[in-house]
Amino acid sequence: MNVRDYISSGILEEYALGNLAERERLEVESNLAKYPELRNELDAIEEAVERLLERAAKTPRPELKTKIMSSLAARSKEAIVIPLPGSGVTIWKYATAASVALAITSAALAYMFWNNWKKAETNLTELIAQNQQIAQDYNVVNQRLDKIEGDLGIYDNPSFRKVVMKGTKAAPDAMASVYWNESNNEVYLSIQNLKQLSQEKQYQLWAIVDGQPHDMGVFDGDMKGLVKMKPGAGIAAFAVTIEPKGGKESPTMETMQVLGNT
Amino acid sequence: MFEYLYDHYSGALYGVASRIISKESVAEEVLHDAFLRIWERIESYDPGKGRLFTWMLNITRNLAIDKSRSKEISRDRKTGDISNFVHSVDRASPEIQHVDAIGLKEVLDQLPDEQKFVVEYLYLRGYTQSEVAEEFNIPLGTVKTRLRLAMTALRSKLKIT
Repeated sequence: MNVRDYISSGILEEYALGNLAERERLEVESNLAKYPELRNELDAIEEAVERLLERAAKTPRPELKTKIMSSLAARSKEAIVIPLPGSGVTIWKYATAASVALAITSAALAYMFWNNWKKAETNLTELIAQNQQIAQDYNVVNQRLDKIEGDLGIYDNPSFRKVVMKGTKAAPDAMASVYWNESNNEVYLSIQNLKQLSQEKQYQLWAIVDGQPHDMGVFDGDMKGLVKMKPGAGIAAFAVTIEPKGGKESPTMETMQVLGNT
Repeated sequence: MFEYLYDHYSGALYGVASRIISKESVAEEVLHDAFLRIWERIESYDPGKGRLFTWMLNITRNLAIDKSRSKEISRDRKTGDISNFVHSVDRASPEIQHVDAIGLKEVLDQLPDEQKFVVEYLYLRGYTQSEVAEEFNIPLGTVKTRLRLAMTALRSKLKIT
Protein backbone atom coordinates (compact mmCIF):
# COMPACT_ATOMS: atom_id res chain seq x y z
CA MET A 1 0.00 0.00 0.00
CA ASN A 2 1.25 3.49 -0.85
CA VAL A 3 0.82 5.44 2.36
CA ARG A 4 1.03 8.87 0.64
CA ASP A 5 -1.75 7.99 -1.82
CA TYR A 6 -3.82 6.51 0.96
CA ILE A 7 -3.54 9.72 2.99
CA SER A 8 -4.31 11.99 0.06
CA SER A 9 -7.42 9.98 -0.79
CA GLY A 10 -8.99 11.76 2.22
CA ILE A 11 -10.17 8.53 3.82
CA LEU A 12 -8.70 9.48 7.22
CA GLU A 13 -10.80 12.65 7.31
CA GLU A 14 -13.87 10.50 6.62
CA TYR A 15 -12.83 8.06 9.30
CA ALA A 16 -12.49 10.87 11.84
CA LEU A 17 -15.93 12.13 10.88
CA GLY A 18 -17.33 8.69 11.72
CA ASN A 19 -18.95 8.49 8.29
CA LEU A 20 -17.42 5.25 7.05
CA ALA A 21 -19.32 2.01 6.64
CA GLU A 22 -18.36 -0.82 8.99
CA ARG A 23 -16.16 -2.66 6.48
CA GLU A 24 -14.19 0.44 5.46
CA ARG A 25 -13.86 1.49 9.07
CA LEU A 26 -12.30 -1.84 10.08
CA GLU A 27 -9.97 -1.61 7.11
CA VAL A 28 -8.78 1.85 8.19
CA GLU A 29 -8.29 0.61 11.74
CA SER A 30 -6.14 -2.31 10.62
CA ASN A 31 -4.07 0.06 8.44
CA LEU A 32 -3.68 2.46 11.35
CA ALA A 33 -2.21 -0.32 13.42
CA LYS A 34 0.21 -1.22 10.61
CA TYR A 35 1.48 2.21 9.54
CA PRO A 36 2.58 4.70 12.21
CA GLU A 37 2.58 7.43 9.55
CA LEU A 38 -1.19 7.04 9.17
CA ARG A 39 -1.59 7.21 12.93
CA ASN A 40 0.28 10.56 13.02
CA GLU A 41 -1.72 11.93 10.12
CA LEU A 42 -5.00 10.94 11.74
CA ASP A 43 -3.92 12.53 14.98
CA ALA A 44 -3.12 15.80 13.21
CA ILE A 45 -6.50 15.76 11.44
CA GLU A 46 -8.34 15.10 14.68
CA GLU A 47 -6.39 17.78 16.48
CA ALA A 48 -7.30 20.29 13.76
CA VAL A 49 -10.99 19.41 14.12
CA GLU A 50 -10.71 19.69 17.90
CA ARG A 51 -9.04 23.12 17.70
CA LEU A 52 -11.61 24.25 15.15
CA LEU A 53 -14.54 23.16 17.26
CA GLU A 54 -13.01 24.67 20.39
CA ARG A 55 -13.14 27.96 18.54
CA ALA A 56 -16.79 27.27 17.73
CA ALA A 57 -17.56 26.43 21.36
CA LYS A 58 -20.71 27.65 23.05
CA THR A 59 -20.92 27.56 26.82
CA PRO A 60 -24.04 25.72 27.98
CA ARG A 61 -26.12 27.29 30.77
CA PRO A 62 -24.59 26.38 34.17
CA GLU A 63 -27.89 24.75 35.21
CA LEU A 64 -27.29 22.06 32.61
CA LYS A 65 -24.14 20.86 34.35
CA THR A 66 -26.03 20.44 37.64
CA LYS A 67 -28.77 18.55 35.83
CA ILE A 68 -26.33 16.18 34.10
CA MET A 69 -24.42 15.57 37.32
CA SER A 70 -27.59 14.64 39.17
CA SER A 71 -28.76 12.34 36.34
CA LEU A 72 -25.41 10.63 36.54
CA ALA A 73 -25.60 10.26 40.30
CA ALA A 74 -29.13 8.81 40.01
CA ARG A 75 -27.99 6.39 37.35
CA SER A 76 -25.03 5.07 39.30
CA LYS A 77 -27.32 4.50 42.30
CA GLU A 78 -29.58 2.41 40.05
CA ALA A 79 -26.59 0.37 39.03
CA ILE A 80 -25.46 -0.35 42.53
CA VAL A 81 -28.59 -0.52 44.69
CA ILE A 82 -31.01 -3.03 43.24
CA PRO A 83 -33.91 -3.68 45.58
CA LEU A 84 -34.59 -7.39 45.63
CA PRO A 85 -37.28 -9.41 47.29
CA GLY A 86 -36.04 -12.39 49.28
CA SER A 87 -35.62 -15.30 46.92
CA GLY A 88 -33.15 -17.99 45.98
CA VAL A 89 -31.49 -15.92 43.28
CA THR A 90 -31.05 -12.82 45.50
CA ILE A 91 -27.48 -13.58 46.32
CA TRP A 92 -26.63 -13.88 42.61
CA LYS A 93 -28.37 -10.64 41.82
CA TYR A 94 -26.44 -8.88 44.54
CA ALA A 95 -23.25 -10.48 43.32
CA THR A 96 -23.99 -9.35 39.78
CA ALA A 97 -24.80 -5.83 40.94
CA ALA A 98 -21.63 -5.74 42.97
CA SER A 99 -19.50 -6.95 40.08
CA VAL A 100 -21.08 -4.46 37.70
CA ALA A 101 -20.34 -1.69 40.20
CA LEU A 102 -16.80 -2.99 40.54
CA ALA A 103 -16.37 -3.12 36.77
CA ILE A 104 -17.60 0.45 36.39
CA THR A 105 -15.35 1.68 39.18
CA SER A 106 -12.29 -0.07 37.85
CA ALA A 107 -12.94 1.16 34.34
CA ALA A 108 -13.21 4.70 35.68
CA LEU A 109 -10.04 4.24 37.71
CA ALA A 110 -8.20 2.74 34.74
CA TYR A 111 -9.22 5.69 32.63
CA MET A 112 -8.19 8.11 35.35
CA PHE A 113 -4.78 6.49 35.68
CA TRP A 114 -4.33 6.43 31.94
CA ASN A 115 -5.21 10.11 31.82
CA ASN A 116 -2.79 10.98 34.63
CA TRP A 117 -0.11 8.97 32.94
CA LYS A 118 -0.67 10.89 29.70
CA LYS A 119 -0.43 14.14 31.61
CA ALA A 120 2.75 13.07 33.37
CA GLU A 121 4.22 12.03 30.03
CA THR A 122 3.40 15.41 28.49
CA ASN A 123 4.91 17.20 31.48
CA LEU A 124 8.03 15.09 31.22
CA THR A 125 8.45 15.87 27.52
CA GLU A 126 8.07 19.57 28.26
CA LEU A 127 10.58 19.41 31.07
CA ILE A 128 13.11 17.58 28.91
CA ALA A 129 12.70 20.20 26.21
CA GLN A 130 13.09 23.00 28.76
CA ASN A 131 16.16 21.32 30.17
CA GLN A 132 17.76 21.12 26.74
CA GLN A 133 16.99 24.77 26.14
CA ILE A 134 18.58 25.76 29.45
CA ALA A 135 21.67 23.66 28.68
CA GLN A 136 21.97 25.36 25.29
CA ASP A 137 21.56 28.82 26.80
CA TYR A 138 24.14 27.94 29.42
CA ASN A 139 26.62 26.93 26.71
CA VAL A 140 26.07 30.15 24.81
CA VAL A 141 26.57 32.21 27.97
CA ASN A 142 29.62 30.18 28.89
CA GLN A 143 31.21 30.73 25.48
CA ARG A 144 30.57 34.46 25.74
CA LEU A 145 32.07 34.52 29.20
CA ASP A 146 35.19 32.69 27.97
CA LYS A 147 35.50 35.20 25.16
CA ILE A 148 35.11 38.19 27.52
CA GLU A 149 37.67 36.73 29.93
CA GLY A 150 40.10 36.24 27.04
CA ASP A 151 39.52 39.81 25.86
CA LEU A 152 40.04 41.17 29.39
CA GLY A 153 43.43 39.43 29.55
CA ILE A 154 44.50 41.41 26.47
CA TYR A 155 43.10 44.76 27.67
CA ASP A 156 44.95 44.28 30.97
CA ASN A 157 48.20 43.05 29.45
CA PRO A 158 50.82 45.89 29.50
CA SER A 159 52.66 44.31 26.52
CA PHE A 160 49.73 45.36 24.31
CA ARG A 161 49.65 48.88 22.98
CA LYS A 162 46.30 50.39 22.16
CA VAL A 163 46.25 52.22 18.84
CA VAL A 164 43.09 54.26 18.31
CA MET A 165 42.05 54.66 14.66
CA LYS A 166 39.94 57.79 14.10
CA GLY A 167 37.40 58.42 11.36
CA THR A 168 38.58 59.85 8.04
CA LYS A 169 36.77 62.55 6.05
CA ALA A 170 34.82 59.81 4.29
CA ALA A 171 33.50 58.57 7.67
CA PRO A 172 34.02 61.19 10.41
CA ASP A 173 32.06 59.23 13.06
CA ALA A 174 33.83 55.92 12.50
CA MET A 175 36.19 54.59 15.14
CA ALA A 176 38.09 51.36 15.79
CA SER A 177 41.12 50.33 17.87
CA VAL A 178 44.00 47.92 17.53
CA TYR A 179 45.78 46.16 20.38
CA TRP A 180 49.27 45.42 19.22
CA ASN A 181 51.90 43.41 21.09
CA GLU A 182 55.31 44.50 19.81
CA SER A 183 57.16 41.67 21.51
CA ASN A 184 55.24 38.77 19.90
CA ASN A 185 53.62 40.72 16.99
CA GLU A 186 50.03 39.76 17.94
CA VAL A 187 47.31 42.10 16.67
CA TYR A 188 43.72 42.33 17.92
CA LEU A 189 41.01 44.58 16.55
CA SER A 190 38.13 46.16 18.42
CA ILE A 191 35.27 48.01 16.71
CA GLN A 192 33.81 51.07 18.37
CA ASN A 193 31.72 52.42 15.51
CA LEU A 194 31.69 51.16 11.93
CA LYS A 195 28.65 51.28 9.67
CA GLN A 196 26.80 48.14 8.46
CA LEU A 197 28.01 46.88 5.09
CA SER A 198 26.07 45.11 2.34
CA GLN A 199 26.47 41.32 1.89
CA GLU A 200 29.10 41.71 -0.85
CA LYS A 201 31.44 43.99 1.16
CA GLN A 202 33.80 43.50 4.08
CA TYR A 203 36.17 45.64 6.09
CA GLN A 204 39.92 45.07 5.65
CA LEU A 205 42.64 46.04 8.14
CA TRP A 206 45.96 47.32 6.82
CA ALA A 207 49.30 47.85 8.57
CA ILE A 208 51.63 50.48 7.12
CA VAL A 209 55.22 49.17 7.29
CA ASP A 210 58.03 51.17 5.63
CA GLY A 211 55.40 53.23 3.81
CA GLN A 212 53.80 50.11 2.26
CA PRO A 213 50.32 48.76 3.17
CA HIS A 214 50.26 45.12 4.36
CA ASP A 215 47.06 43.07 4.48
CA MET A 216 46.12 42.21 8.10
CA GLY A 217 42.89 40.35 7.32
CA VAL A 218 39.19 41.05 6.69
CA PHE A 219 36.30 41.32 9.17
CA ASP A 220 32.59 42.06 9.34
CA GLY A 221 31.25 45.26 10.87
CA ASP A 222 29.11 43.48 13.47
CA MET A 223 31.92 41.67 15.32
CA LYS A 224 31.77 41.94 19.11
CA GLY A 225 34.79 42.14 21.44
CA LEU A 226 38.34 41.54 20.21
CA VAL A 227 39.04 39.95 16.83
CA LYS A 228 42.40 38.34 16.25
CA MET A 229 44.07 39.65 13.06
CA LYS A 230 47.30 38.69 11.26
CA PRO A 231 50.55 39.33 13.20
CA GLY A 232 52.75 42.26 12.24
CA ALA A 233 56.08 43.98 13.18
CA GLY A 234 57.50 47.44 12.64
CA ILE A 235 54.09 48.95 12.05
CA ALA A 236 53.87 52.73 11.72
CA ALA A 237 50.11 53.00 11.27
CA PHE A 238 46.87 50.97 11.03
CA ALA A 239 43.99 51.70 8.65
CA VAL A 240 40.65 50.13 7.68
CA THR A 241 39.12 50.20 4.18
CA ILE A 242 35.93 48.80 2.65
CA GLU A 243 36.67 46.08 0.08
CA PRO A 244 34.77 43.39 -1.83
CA LYS A 245 34.07 40.32 0.33
CA GLY A 246 37.32 38.44 0.98
CA GLY A 247 39.49 41.54 0.67
CA LYS A 248 42.02 42.76 -1.92
CA GLU A 249 45.78 42.72 -2.29
CA SER A 250 46.11 46.47 -2.09
CA PRO A 251 43.78 48.93 -0.35
CA THR A 252 41.17 51.07 -2.10
CA MET A 253 42.21 54.39 -0.65
CA GLU A 254 38.88 56.14 -1.39
CA THR A 255 37.09 53.83 1.01
CA MET A 256 39.41 54.33 3.98
CA GLN A 257 37.25 54.60 7.10
CA VAL A 258 39.66 54.97 10.00
CA LEU A 259 43.40 55.60 10.42
CA GLY A 260 45.72 55.66 13.45
CA ASN A 261 49.48 56.11 13.90
CA THR A 262 51.26 53.87 16.35
CA MET B 1 -13.11 12.81 36.74
CA PHE B 2 -16.49 13.28 35.07
CA GLU B 3 -16.41 16.95 35.96
CA TYR B 4 -13.05 17.24 34.28
CA LEU B 5 -14.51 15.84 31.06
CA TYR B 6 -17.52 18.10 31.32
CA ASP B 7 -15.56 21.26 32.05
CA HIS B 8 -13.10 20.63 29.24
CA TYR B 9 -15.37 19.48 26.48
CA SER B 10 -18.92 20.64 27.12
CA GLY B 11 -18.37 23.98 25.32
CA ALA B 12 -17.10 22.48 22.09
CA LEU B 13 -19.71 19.68 22.17
CA TYR B 14 -22.57 22.05 22.95
CA GLY B 15 -21.40 24.24 20.08
CA VAL B 16 -21.80 21.22 17.79
CA ALA B 17 -25.21 20.20 19.19
CA SER B 18 -26.61 23.72 19.08
CA ARG B 19 -25.65 24.25 15.47
CA ILE B 20 -27.36 21.03 14.41
CA ILE B 21 -30.41 21.78 16.54
CA SER B 22 -31.38 25.41 16.89
CA LYS B 23 -33.95 24.95 19.65
CA GLU B 24 -32.04 25.53 22.89
CA SER B 25 -33.99 23.12 25.09
CA VAL B 26 -33.53 20.26 22.60
CA ALA B 27 -29.83 21.02 22.13
CA GLU B 28 -29.43 20.89 25.91
CA GLU B 29 -31.24 17.57 26.00
CA VAL B 30 -28.81 16.23 23.39
CA LEU B 31 -25.80 17.37 25.43
CA HIS B 32 -27.34 15.81 28.55
CA ASP B 33 -27.89 12.45 26.82
CA ALA B 34 -24.49 12.62 25.17
CA PHE B 35 -22.66 13.03 28.48
CA LEU B 36 -24.62 10.16 30.06
CA ARG B 37 -23.70 7.97 27.10
CA ILE B 38 -20.06 9.10 27.18
CA TRP B 39 -19.84 8.22 30.84
CA GLU B 40 -21.58 4.87 30.37
CA ARG B 41 -19.28 3.86 27.54
CA ILE B 42 -16.06 5.46 28.64
CA GLU B 43 -14.49 2.04 29.12
CA SER B 44 -15.09 1.21 25.47
CA TYR B 45 -13.11 4.25 24.32
CA ASP B 46 -9.93 2.96 22.62
CA PRO B 47 -7.10 5.52 22.41
CA GLY B 48 -5.59 3.40 19.62
CA LYS B 49 -8.48 4.38 17.34
CA GLY B 50 -8.37 8.13 17.82
CA ARG B 51 -8.48 11.07 20.16
CA LEU B 52 -10.86 11.21 23.10
CA PHE B 53 -12.44 14.37 21.75
CA THR B 54 -13.22 12.73 18.39
CA TRP B 55 -14.91 9.86 20.16
CA MET B 56 -17.02 12.22 22.30
CA LEU B 57 -17.75 14.40 19.28
CA ASN B 58 -19.10 11.49 17.24
CA ILE B 59 -21.36 10.37 20.09
CA THR B 60 -22.74 13.90 20.46
CA ARG B 61 -23.10 14.47 16.74
CA ASN B 62 -24.91 11.18 16.17
CA LEU B 63 -27.36 11.90 18.98
CA ALA B 64 -27.99 15.39 17.62
CA ILE B 65 -28.53 14.10 14.09
CA ASP B 66 -30.89 11.37 15.33
CA LYS B 67 -32.80 13.97 17.26
CA SER B 68 -32.99 16.34 14.32
CA ARG B 69 -34.50 13.56 12.22
CA SER B 70 -37.08 12.57 14.81
CA LYS B 71 -40.58 13.93 14.52
CA GLU B 72 -40.38 16.57 17.22
CA ILE B 73 -37.85 18.57 15.28
CA SER B 74 -38.66 19.51 11.73
CA ARG B 75 -35.24 19.45 10.12
CA ASP B 76 -34.69 23.06 11.07
CA ARG B 77 -30.99 22.61 10.60
CA LYS B 78 -31.64 22.82 6.92
CA THR B 79 -33.04 26.31 7.15
CA GLY B 80 -31.20 29.50 7.90
CA ASP B 81 -28.41 31.13 6.00
CA ILE B 82 -25.20 29.25 6.62
CA SER B 83 -23.06 32.34 6.22
CA ASN B 84 -24.69 33.83 9.30
CA PHE B 85 -24.04 31.07 11.73
CA VAL B 86 -20.88 32.58 13.17
CA HIS B 87 -22.78 35.76 13.87
CA SER B 88 -25.70 33.89 15.34
CA VAL B 89 -23.27 32.37 17.84
CA ASP B 90 -22.04 35.85 18.65
CA ARG B 91 -25.54 37.15 19.19
CA ALA B 92 -26.65 34.38 21.53
CA SER B 93 -26.97 35.13 25.24
CA PRO B 94 -24.81 38.21 25.76
CA GLU B 95 -23.71 37.27 29.29
CA ILE B 96 -21.65 34.43 27.86
CA GLN B 97 -18.36 35.30 26.24
CA HIS B 98 -17.99 33.90 22.76
CA VAL B 99 -14.46 35.03 22.19
CA ASP B 100 -13.72 31.70 20.54
CA ALA B 101 -16.33 32.15 17.86
CA ILE B 102 -14.45 35.20 16.65
CA GLY B 103 -11.28 33.13 16.31
CA LEU B 104 -13.34 30.63 14.31
CA LYS B 105 -14.43 33.22 11.79
CA GLU B 106 -10.86 34.42 11.35
CA VAL B 107 -9.64 30.92 10.63
CA LEU B 108 -12.48 30.00 8.26
CA ASP B 109 -12.31 33.24 6.34
CA GLN B 110 -8.81 32.35 5.23
CA LEU B 111 -10.13 29.36 3.29
CA PRO B 112 -11.43 29.59 -0.29
CA ASP B 113 -15.26 29.78 -0.29
CA GLU B 114 -15.84 26.24 -1.60
CA GLN B 115 -13.59 24.74 1.11
CA LYS B 116 -15.11 26.89 3.84
CA PHE B 117 -18.54 25.65 2.72
CA VAL B 118 -17.53 22.00 3.08
CA VAL B 119 -15.98 22.56 6.53
CA GLU B 120 -19.05 24.42 7.75
CA TYR B 121 -21.49 21.78 6.60
CA LEU B 122 -19.48 18.73 7.65
CA TYR B 123 -17.99 19.87 10.95
CA LEU B 124 -20.26 22.62 12.15
CA ARG B 125 -23.66 21.59 10.76
CA GLY B 126 -23.27 17.84 11.12
CA TYR B 127 -23.97 16.91 7.49
CA THR B 128 -22.54 13.74 6.05
CA GLN B 129 -20.53 13.95 2.86
CA SER B 130 -23.28 12.26 0.85
CA GLU B 131 -25.86 14.68 2.23
CA VAL B 132 -23.78 17.65 1.10
CA ALA B 133 -23.26 16.02 -2.29
CA GLU B 134 -26.96 15.31 -2.83
CA GLU B 135 -28.38 18.48 -1.45
CA PHE B 136 -26.08 20.88 -3.25
CA ASN B 137 -25.45 18.84 -6.40
CA ILE B 138 -21.71 18.52 -5.87
CA PRO B 139 -20.10 15.22 -6.97
CA LEU B 140 -19.16 13.15 -3.89
CA GLY B 141 -15.53 12.94 -5.05
CA THR B 142 -15.36 16.73 -5.19
CA VAL B 143 -16.70 17.00 -1.64
CA LYS B 144 -13.98 14.60 -0.49
CA THR B 145 -11.21 16.44 -2.33
CA ARG B 146 -12.34 19.80 -0.96
CA LEU B 147 -12.45 18.40 2.56
CA ARG B 148 -8.92 17.07 2.23
CA LEU B 149 -7.66 20.43 0.87
CA ALA B 150 -9.53 22.35 3.56
CA MET B 151 -8.11 20.21 6.35
CA THR B 152 -4.58 20.58 5.01
CA ALA B 153 -5.03 24.36 4.92
CA LEU B 154 -6.65 24.43 8.37
CA ARG B 155 -3.80 22.46 9.86
CA SER B 156 -1.30 24.98 8.63
CA LYS B 157 -3.45 27.90 9.86
CA LEU B 158 -3.80 26.21 13.23
CA LYS B 159 -0.10 25.31 13.22
CA ILE B 160 -0.66 21.57 13.52
CA THR B 161 1.90 19.40 11.76
